[in-house]
Amino acid sequence: MKFKSILAAIGLFAAITTAYAETKIGYIYVGPKTDYGYNYAQDQGRLYMEKHVKDVKTSYFENIPENADVERVMERLAQSGYKVIFATSYGYLDPALKVAKKYPNVTFMHSGGFKLAKNLGTYFADIDDVMYLAGISAGASTKSGKLGFIAAHPIPQVLRNINAFTRGAQSVNPKVTTTVVWTGTWSDPAKEAEAANALIDSGVDVLSMHVDSPIAIVQTAEKRGVHVVGYHADASKFAPKGWLVGAAWNWGPMMTKIVESIEKGTWKSENIRGSLATGDVKLTKFGPSVTDKTKALIAKKEQAFVSGKDPLWAGPIVKQDGTVVAAEGTTMPSASVEQMNFFVKGVIGTVQ
Amino acid sequence: MLDSSAFNISDLTVSSLRSSTPILLAILGETLTQRVGIINLGVEGQMLVGALAGFAATLSFGNPWIGLLVGALAGVLMSSLHAGLCVGLKANQIASGIAVLILGMGLTSFYGIPYVGQKIHGFHHLLSAHWQTVPILGTFVSQLTPTVIIGLIATPLVGIWLYRTRTGLIWRSVGESVQVARATGINPAFVQVQGVLIGGFFSGFAGAAMSVDYTRDWVENMTGGRGLVAVGLVIVARWNPFLALPAALLFGGSEAFYLRLQTAGVAVSPYLLATIPYVVTLLVLLVSYYLANKEGGAPQGLTAIFR
Amino acid sequence: MNGSRVLRAEVFPILASACLFLALGAGFFLLEGHAPVALFLEMVKSAFGDSFAWSETLVKVAPILLCASAVVLPAKLGLVTVGAQGQMNFGAMAGTALVLSMMNGSAWVVLPLMLLTASLGGAFWGAVPGVFKARLGVNETISTLMLNYLALQLVDYVVHGPWKDPSNLGWPASANFPDAAILPTFFGSRVHLGLVIGVVAALILHVLVTYSRWGIALKVMRSNQRVALSAGLNYERNVIIVMAISGLLAGIAGIAETSVMQGRLQAGLAGGYGWSGFLVAWLSGQSFLRIIPMSILVGGLLSSADALQLFAQLPSSSAIILQGMLFVSALVVMNWVKLRGYHA
Repeated sequence: MKFKSILAAIGLFAAITTAYAETKIGYIYVGPKTDYGYNYAQDQGRLYMEKHVKDVKTSYFENIPENADVERVMERLAQSGYKVIFATSYGYLDPALKVAKKYPNVTFMHSGGFKLAKNLGTYFADIDDVMYLAGISAGASTKSGKLGFIAAHPIPQVLRNINAFTRGAQSVNPKVTTTVVWTGTWSDPAKEAEAANALIDSGVDVLSMHVDSPIAIVQTAEKRGVHVVGYHADASKFAPKGWLVGAAWNWGPMMTKIVESIEKGTWKSENIRGSLATGDVKLTKFGPSVTDKTKALIAKKEQAFVSGKDPLWAGPIVKQDGTVVAAEGTTMPSASVEQMNFFVKGVIGTVQ
Repeated sequence: MLDSSAFNISDLTVSSLRSSTPILLAILGETLTQRVGIINLGVEGQMLVGALAGFAATLSFGNPWIGLLVGALAGVLMSSLHAGLCVGLKANQIASGIAVLILGMGLTSFYGIPYVGQKIHGFHHLLSAHWQTVPILGTFVSQLTPTVIIGLIATPLVGIWLYRTRTGLIWRSVGESVQVARATGINPAFVQVQGVLIGGFFSGFAGAAMSVDYTRDWVENMTGGRGLVAVGLVIVARWNPFLALPAALLFGGSEAFYLRLQTAGVAVSPYLLATIPYVVTLLVLLVSYYLANKEGGAPQGLTAIFR
Repeated sequence: MNGSRVLRAEVFPILASACLFLALGAGFFLLEGHAPVALFLEMVKSAFGDSFAWSETLVKVAPILLCASAVVLPAKLGLVTVGAQGQMNFGAMAGTALVLSMMNGSAWVVLPLMLLTASLGGAFWGAVPGVFKARLGVNETISTLMLNYLALQLVDYVVHGPWKDPSNLGWPASANFPDAAILPTFFGSRVHLGLVIGVVAALILHVLVTYSRWGIALKVMRSNQRVALSAGLNYERNVIIVMAISGLLAGIAGIAETSVMQGRLQAGLAGGYGWSGFLVAWLSGQSFLRIIPMSILVGGLLSSADALQLFAQLPSSSAIILQGMLFVSALVVMNWVKLRGYHA
């Protein structure tokens, strides 16, 4: 009798624990999750997903450099029973591929990469579409015809944004040029502020950026009385007057879908690319100086992107030196968009 | 094709001053510290602590002046660790400075998290808008912020204090020889503690100048090595506060310059351009040693550490 | 030396430093609302708990040990160098240049040549501040600091520019090293030949510095230049030699990280190993023997940072705070002991 009840209790306990077995999910960030930029956006996605998917538990590692350390961290997560690992920085790709081979039961999701393995998929979102839309507001508001772009390192994601931004601006004002200043580091607010000042002194009257945190540049623009297009997160409160619009991430829904599919067993290895249509990237709110006419123009183009009728990388696309990359009527294949290594005509700067 | 508007002389001067100011303040403080015979490699850590404390205080009190003051005092607090270790316990100064550096980096990254993405109100323009229309002077004055002016005023004051006052003389004599100073009735340990703490004050202020005035932003490790470079620039300035400004401009100016080269469309790798500040500083360091014919100008008390 | 003296001079400072460090760390954990004992145990587990933990700790020990030796040797001549970081980068760059020019060579040729060029590259980056010091008296701490930043930018330049490999899909890195250019690893882990080189180098240097004529000469030159001069010892030349060897050691650390850990040249290869090596050198009282266990301790501390993030959800910067606390504790105790005269 006693023995039976003990058995029953054990059975019940086992049932409860299986029912409540949480899927442990690990996140790895290259910087602090509070950078108000790239890592912040990924972490917001984590929190959203944790709230919306049942029975998951997340942990995160911050400030893991894109070197040998990340391999150790991934192995440690895999060994500690983590079933899903989000490797959220571009430079984690090769280490993730290595570790994925060793732990076939763990699902790896890499952000931004373009290589796959049986248990490794990638996710990203075409934020360059949004930068194109934001570029329209820049092209419409510039008086000098000179735009400025402050960026950290010449990697494909950054080059895509600069080119998209420039082409957006050129769509309303073909004479527009974008001058690029590289800071050589993802985060150095003093250098970014000085780069902003240098651009403004050279006659630039709209700034945009691709660095970890937009704050220093947005504030410098406001102080100097020029317009600014934000990136990563809504920084409009830092430039109540000069803010035009920004491009922001919205990872929550995508991460939720990915984790749900893993739990259901329907996950397969693929390159997932979110878009304006799926809501994974979006425009932030507009600043006061953006006219209704410009807003309508942007809305129309947004519709064209969402419907897929008029993709961003449709020709003609011409390089800085005049070489044609995609002729009129053709579209750049996504594989070469993801490896972009050139500036379009109208961008002043070097990609080396 | 080069766009010459990028090298407008008054713009370049203003931007050089702006990016040199935190370094200038740090050099001034470290000069005083080294003048009493102590080297402090922890300047970077003290700047970070000053930057965070200054930002936090500005956020809670709504006044950037309070922020600057709190930042400076936080620098003093951090440097007291160095003072305690080096003067109190006679620890190796390089090692102690690096301990301060590591702690400052760790503590500010850790406790700075809630301040990322916060908005503070910095200083207003120094002069009203119609001044900005005055050519040359207009751009000059309208873009200079309070900390730039404070740095420019502090430089000669520190110089005069060090070379023209009695206490300045006492400090220098401690830096030359602790034994001789003690023989003349000076308490060298007391002077050395003061020298380290005033260095902490300046470097904390320098950090706060970056977060409260220059960028109005807090980001972890936002000083990006400027504190370490400042320690080196003290030597370039030959431990002379009057030379702190040219030394700071050497680095800050070449940083501003290489960013400006890019706006002019110079097609050289930005990574090669970014070596300019370090190459220039190294070259001037070599030249200054060459001219000073080995160790000249260094407080004698310091040479013992470097041997 | 009787037993109680040994106890006082050797064991007491280590125990006292450890206690002070644990007390400071416990205070920090309590302040953040974590039970200190449990957390310390988790840390020990994730640094030394199983074979994986050990292997990952040893992976960190290799560069730390080499960088520590790179600090200790110049210290024997009274020089304070902080240049290991830059020498790692420059050595890695030199070694990579060789690998990129011999992509199809056999391991028997490529590996030794790769180690040689990386050593020479590191030695060059170390000899430069040595020459500055010897010829002009330029302070070596400052010049090595500047050269660190310079080397960092140079690596950034080559991986974004001339050496950027198209197969990386735009990622700034050199081509992947062929298998022939990967240093051997042991026990199916990432522990590599660099660790062996590090230990052997520390032991050889210990013997050289303690027992050889050269070691004695270094001691003389450090303590009394006038005597050294009259004994015909050339201080300037030895400054350059010592700095070059120091750079050579760091250069090997650099190419080992590049070859085994990254498999290609990319920015950030040196991590914070230069600083950790400096820390280890000072914690060990500039002794080639003591840096071996001390590197293991600090390497363990670094890899135990995982536990802080994984179990306590503390930000990664807590590991840096602990490193600072360890350094301060050791400085306090060591110097307090010295002041009280136990060491005499």
